[in-house]
Amino acid sequence: MPELPDLNPVIHGKLRLALLSLLTTVEEAEFTWLRARTGSTDGNLGAQLARLEEAGYVAVEKKFVQRKPQTLYRMTEAGRTALTEYVQALKQLLGESINV
Amino acid sequence: MQEETSTQELKDRVALIECMIAEGRRSTESWGWTFLLWGVAYYVAIGWEAMGQRLAIWGGNGLAWPVTMIAAVVVTILIAFRKDNGQPDTTVGRAVVSIWISVGISMLLLFPALSIAGRIDGHGFVAIVGAVLGIANGASGMILRWRMQMACAVVWWITSVAACFGSQAQVTVVFLTALFLCQIAFGAYAMILESRRRQNREAHA
Repeated sequence: MPELPDLNPVIHGKLRLALLSLLTTVEEAEFTWLRARTGSTDGNLGAQLARLEEAGYVAVEKKFVQRKPQTLYRMTEAGRTALTEYVQALKQLLGESINV
Repeated sequence: MQEETSTQELKDRVALIECMIAEGRRSTESWGWTFLLWGVAYYVAIGWEAMGQRLAIWGGNGLAWPVTMIAAVVVTILIAFRKDNGQPDTTVGRAVVSIWISVGISMLLLFPALSIAGRIDGHGFVAIVGAVLGIANGASGMILRWRMQMACAVVWWITSVAACFGSQAQVTVVFLTALFLCQIAFGAYAMILESRRRQNREAHA
């Protein structure tokens, strides 16, 4: 019997998985856009993004646009690889094809 | 970890990934107004040119196209900057916008040059505009998989071919009809769709 793969615990968190999935579709996204799409609170979103940043899965850029602070998040290559591996592991665990 | 993870939980994760990717890809950009604006601009230029010719007013017909087109470019840029409300760039969005910007630049360079060189007439103008707008609508219709925009591309291609035949008056009627269908009506339709999509999103937020 083939060995079942482990699921990456950093990605497995619901909100973190949602964030990485969202970030695959855009080049970079503002904190407010991510908050609106996930419907999460500022505190929780900030904490989960910090965890993803710590793992090297997202890169953060802070800048000022028209004197307003703007925080932009971008998925890193490591994040993309980790998410791909996570999806592969899910496919293997579920033993069926999934279209993501 | 997999021992603690139930199949249902794994399926939930799959559904979450699918849902978030769909949410991220959903276009939040609204460009219906540009079709409407440019449709109206063309009508204004054509009307101004015709009236100016007849009444010898508003600087004759020489100023109609340059003034209207420059004004439309300025208004487009101003509105586009105002509407840029922090939506992230998507590859699809950038692809579609780049097609239209390139088309716009090509036409803004080509037509004044052809006009100054005296190497264009009404037939040629409509044939080129029809072909170029057919390319732009066709390309973005295929990228967005939007049948209505593909239908606009077909109308422009027909217009382009039709412009090679018939009298100047017939070509003008064909051009005005294509402008109405593919710019004004299509722009209004796109704006209604965008407004409905916004309302749905707000209702589900």
